Amino acid sequence: MQQSYRGRKKTEEDVGKEDWKPLRSEKPQQPFKKFFHSKKIIKEKSIKTVLFLTAISAIIVIFSIIIFLFKDGYPIFQTAGLWEFLSGTRWNPTGEPPLYGAFPLIVGTLLVTLGAMIVAIPLSIGSAIFISEIATPKMKAVIKPAIELLAGIPSVVYGFFGLIVLTTWLRISFSQSSGESWLAGSLLLGIMAIPTITSVAEDAISSVPREFKEGSFALGATRWQTISKVIVPSALSGITAGIILGIGRAIGETMAVMMVCGNPTYGLIPTSIANVFAPIKTLTATLGIEMGEVATGSNHYHALFGVALLLLIITLVVNIIATIILNRLKEKQRSPSKKKTHLSISIKQQIRKTLVFTIIMLCVVLLLSSMGILLTACIGLVVGAVYYLRKKVSAKTGQRIAFIAIAVAILTVIVILGVILVYIISNGAGALSWEFLSQGPSNLGRSGGIYPAIIGTLYLVSGAIAIALPLGVGAAIYLIEYTREGRLTKIIRAGADLLNGTPSIVFGLFGFAFFVLYLRMGFSLLAGQITIAFMILPTIIRTTEEALKSVPQSLREGSLALGATKWQTIKKVVLPPAAPGILTGAILGIGRAAGETAPIMFTAVVFSSFIPQSFVEPVNALPFHLYILATSIPNSARNQAGTALALLLLVIGIYLVAVLIRNHYQKTMKW
Amino acid sequence: MVNKVYIFTRVVGCTMSSIEQKREQKKFQQIMIALISIIAIFSILGSGCIQSQKGFPIVVVGRDSASGSREFFWEYVMKKENFSVFYLEKNSNGGIYQSVTQTPGAIGYVGLGYVDNGVKALTINNITANPANVLSGTYPIARNLYVFTKGNATGVAKEFITFIQSTEGQVIVQEEGFVPIPTTETYNSTGKSLSGILSIGGSTTVFPILEKAKETFMILYPGLQITVSSTGSGAGITAVGAGTVDIGMSSRDLKSSESNLGLVKYTIASDAIVLIVNPENTYVDNLSLAQVKAIYKGEITNWNEFS
Repeated sequence: MQQSYRGRKKTEEDVGKEDWKPLRSEKPQQPFKKFFHSKKIIKEKSIKTVLFLTAISAIIVIFSIIIFLFKDGYPIFQTAGLWEFLSGTRWNPTGEPPLYGAFPLIVGTLLVTLGAMIVAIPLSIGSAIFISEIATPKMKAVIKPAIELLAGIPSVVYGFFGLIVLTTWLRISFSQSSGESWLAGSLLLGIMAIPTITSVAEDAISSVPREFKEGSFALGATRWQTISKVIVPSALSGITAGIILGIGRAIGETMAVMMVCGNPTYGLIPTSIANVFAPIKTLTATLGIEMGEVATGSNHYHALFGVALLLLIITLVVNIIATIILNRLKEKQRSPSKKKTHLSISIKQQIRKTLVFTIIMLCVVLLLSSMGILLTACIGLVVGAVYYLRKKVSAKTGQRIAFIAIAVAILTVIVILGVILVYIISNGAGALSWEFLSQGPSNLGRSGGIYPAIIGTLYLVSGAIAIALPLGVGAAIYLIEYTREGRLTKIIRAGADLLNGTPSIVFGLFGFAFFVLYLRMGFSLLAGQITIAFMILPTIIRTTEEALKSVPQSLREGSLALGATKWQTIKKVVLPPAAPGILTGAILGIGRAAGETAPIMFTAVVFSSFIPQSFVEPVNALPFHLYILATSIPNSARNQAGTALALLLLVIGIYLVAVLIRNHYQKTMKW
Repeated sequence: MVNKVYIFTRVVGCTMSSIEQKREQKKFQQIMIALISIIAIFSILGSGCIQSQKGFPIVVVGRDSASGSREFFWEYVMKKENFSVFYLEKNSNGGIYQSVTQTPGAIGYVGLGYVDNGVKALTINNITANPANVLSGTYPIARNLYVFTKGNATGVAKEFITFIQSTEGQVIVQEEGFVPIPTTETYNSTGKSLSGILSIGGSTTVFPILEKAKETFMILYPGLQITVSSTGSGAGITAVGAGTVDIGMSSRDLKSSESNLGLVKYTIASDAIVLIVNPENTYVDNLSLAQVKAIYKGEITNWNEFS
């Protein structure tokens, strides 16, 4: 259907004229009609121009982020040298002499991410398989939103949980001197990456053609054989893309990592890979901790922008790889004809053998160097035993074991969610009262309430959505209704994707450099609103696009056939049925905006109890209030828990509304 | 019934005789036992490989590298030598306090105002950190706290700074746990009327003083509106330099990169830096400056060494 419409759209340039043709042929043009007619064209054209401008906004934003980071980060590459910056092993910007070696920070980021993936990948793939292949519709209806809920918990709440519960638990149960460590960061980030990987992997698994499955069953394969040998391999590129997106999220995460990883001041490369209790400092944590007090214009300031630039480049590369894989997947689905590989099967097998051998040898060397001979031998024995058992096991037994493993994975995820929710609710419920919600904080937030923070969050969020919604919806309309798939749409989509993958702390630094300093807005409500708006823009573009795509092409054709102009068609026919979808996108954006701390930390928020009277005044916000209480105000446990619960309820409430709207319209709308 | 058989066939893949089923069941149990024992061995090995630390290791905690307090500590205690690589950064005094209360082996340094019963304050060279010892100059690690204005202070800003530097203002400094500067001048508000908006931002250390002072000052002049925000020394100095706030608070002096902003400095209080440990730590009550330095350099890594 899409195709036929796209074909028709070739005459898009003179769409106004075309629509008025019947009138012209019936009677001769009157001056009035002509004037009216040209006015219509002008209106159509100007609307198109405005929409085009909104569409390129994402690209403008991503470019200005890169430019501003580069502008403020470049001096450090001059003073310290690019190679020294990348490879220096000590981060000591205020020492004598100052050292700007970001290498340990890069290693820290990579190690935390690696650990997070070891936690997240098995759990997410298990969950994805369970949701799409094993769960009954009823189970699916419970488990899918539960995992989405994990995505909805603000990162500062994860950090709060990690700081109070996880690090203490690690310290006591493994009798360490401090629980703030690489392991704590990896566990927490792993949990946070689960929903991202699960949802993408689940989409990929669900989109495997039915015929594959049926063919496999028809050949007598068990369900597990079908899943492991047919479905997962054919969904592999989707799953890989999900994992890469998860890696992107883990690399860019700030608040949670900053709160639980310990942050050794010069950056620290653990002595061995087994030393999981070593504290670690990541790129994002360095920015989050040091940005607040650094002297603007100093070398240290430029060095932090250099770090931000580095972080942006790493995440952009990761996201571009994911986008390429996903695009390839889409193309493959469209044209299932396979390109023939030139390699013969025997060579392929040889390559595979060498690859497996190198990986095994690498593992052995790593284990030997970090754990000693005895442990390596034991691990080797265990792996060998598993391998031997695998050969012996019949298909049915294999299936049962695999399903048990999947059940363990999904149960683990649910239990983790349960523990976090129960902890926050049981601790916060005592503090939550009407007074708490309606009074200002006193005694530095130890007593009193969180009213200014709630109001501040509402101000920030409503301003952000007021900016992002027109831009995002305009861009999506332009992409779907006014253009054919081509280079331009590709570039615009790529811009939105890159913006989506940009770490939130990078938005914060950009906001600080551009709005606060360059435009001299100072720490202000407006600066925070715009920064958040840029952050949620890609979410809104994406969901609006989906909503517009779901409106059947026949409606547009019918409207155009009745003589309506393009804009009339969009306004009166396309937008109304797409509204719920757009609304869902907006609400998801609001949810994300309400929970984020990093982008507003250097642009808008201050820990204070006043409510701004104008756009140029700073505000307080719930996530920031929680962050400050949890990390800076001793003896405020009660209000910490209360704030965490209030924030959690707010964000989950917002998401719940989105889910309800989605479900309601999915049921009622039938074409 | 037919339905059930159908589902069974679909789930299992094919039908089985009961003997086959039993055999299958037995094999399954054996394999599960084998798997569970493998996992058990693995986890025992895993926990064995984690070295639980001996004695009572020291966890060194301090401020981040952009902090004014750390800069002072580094100059006066560390004599500009590097910290231990295991020095954990926190970006506020409260963060250090929190970490020390949560971690039995931790040591940290905070401003005098943050010391209470939740932590154990150490004496330095047998001198307790208190205002009297700071004023007399016997407590070795003390520094001044400042506010800055762009050019000489005028109008409301000048009145507010005069108020803080007066005896009335210094009472607030003392109440907040800081050390007042010696002054005898009292603040006279009779016959003055101030109005308008005054915005203040900067150091987290200085924040509590100005927040309290603001409350008292606004009672004197009801028409006045003052906002105080804690953003950090660097951000405060930047903001006052850029003119986005009227007064910047700082726990450190200007750096060379900030000297061209045209700021004027006013000292409003003094502060002692206090070494704190967890109350569970029974090994030490007093440290010499050299010992503090050795701990923060990573030369002393275990509290055992003090017993």
